[in-house]
Amino acid sequence: MAEDALLAEMRALRERVAGITGTAVASRDGLIVREDTGGVDPDNLAALAATWLALAQRMSNEVGQGTLREAMTKSSSGCVAIYAVGVRAVLVLIGDEGVDITSLRSESRGSLDAIGALLADSGDQRVPL
Amino acid sequence: MGTQVPEDAIARPLRQALLDCAAGRMSGVLRVTGHPSGTIHFREGRIIAAETPGAPGLEVILLRSKRLDESGWDAAFAAAAASGSEMRDELVARDLVGVGELQALLRAAVADAVFAMAFGVVDSCRAEPRAVGPLVTLDPGAKAEWLLIETWRRIQLLGSFPDPAGHARVRVVTVPGAMRPGLVLGGGRDELVALSDGRRTPRDLAFALGRGVYATMLQLSRMQADGLILTISGSAASSAEAANGGRPPAPEDGQRTADGLPRRRKDLAGQPGRADGRELPSAFRLLRLRYGEGTTPGGTR
Repeated sequence: MAEDALLAEMRALRERVAGITGTAVASRDGLIVREDTGGVDPDNLAALAATWLALAQRMSNEVGQGTLREAMTKSSSGCVAIYAVGVRAVLVLIGDEGVDITSLRSESRGSLDAIGALLADSGDQRVPL
Repeated sequence: MGTQVPEDAIARPLRQALLDCAAGRMSGVLRVTGHPSGTIHFREGRIIAAETPGAPGLEVILLRSKRLDESGWDAAFAAAAASGSEMRDELVARDLVGVGELQALLRAAVADAVFAMAFGVVDSCRAEPRAVGPLVTLDPGAKAEWLLIETWRRIQLLGSFPDPAGHARVRVVTVPGAMRPGLVLGGGRDELVALSDGRRTPRDLAFALGRGVYATMLQLSRMQADGLILTISGSAASSAEAANGGRPPAPEDGQRTADGLPRRRKDLAGQPGRADGRELPSAFRLLRLRYGEGTTPGGTR
């Protein structure tokens, strides 16, 4: 199980993007896989991320807008973005008010591939991610 | 047109672009690409606003430092949007901030943003001579030469410390044993100590506290010289954190699916999710278990 590699990939993403304060990977049914948030409740985060991703994907589908790229909340003191990792996991990024959204979007794309590959490596190779 | 700032003192493309935009009396934006990137707004050659992920803007400085509460900011924003008036006029008209204080804060925020970009890595600058209205503007705007001199002064002062706690990638951690119970440092240092957990960079601390990034770096450099805080590189920060209880949750092997992801127990919420939408009710069930029937998740915390 490439767990440390997964955490390292998440931390590398936080290093690359100014303003990311936390990252997490959850399974699509709402269980935490890895978290590096510095204090956010990981179980609640995972449950909400999985629900939110499913809702956001259904919304995209409902209005005929194709594949969901990202869902984001912006609040008075920060933002949260989620991305699907294949069909079985979700990546959560938490940022402060100043987070560099442009670099968050470009950097997260590469990390999604790497995280997807790590999750695939960690289990049965025949299971499509 | 001469400036007192030596040519190689500040990232050359940024220095040149600032001087060119000023000389051309440009109205528009200067887009700075680098680490951090940013946008510098000009009106007739003067700098009226600057935004960058590297330094907190006016909203963060006012709200995080609790100078202003959120409802006041939101009301001023809504009124400005509805009437087409300037946000700065609404803030002042509502007595939320004085004219002089607002001007001083904006000037400080502009200087801080330019400093953050100059102190980082500037890849390129591109001037776009068309107006993009920033939310709150400095009036009158700052002169490019003043900004360059101010930026140079700041870089020099930080450079005078043997280990300036200013670099973008370092994480700040309190020295173990440096703080005794009941000890109060004062001068805004206690808040910095409390938040220096090895996860945050000086920039992160500035955002968290609503302070200027330069002021935060300077204070951290002094605190480092006083033995109160340490700076560690990103990778060292991660391993220190892991040793300190960084959390790989890892359910037991029996609870994992074939692909290594944790498995939901059937008695809790049915089958592990699928991408066909069946995971939605399952996750809702989980939320209800966690928060109680009929509660709004966001409302309970």
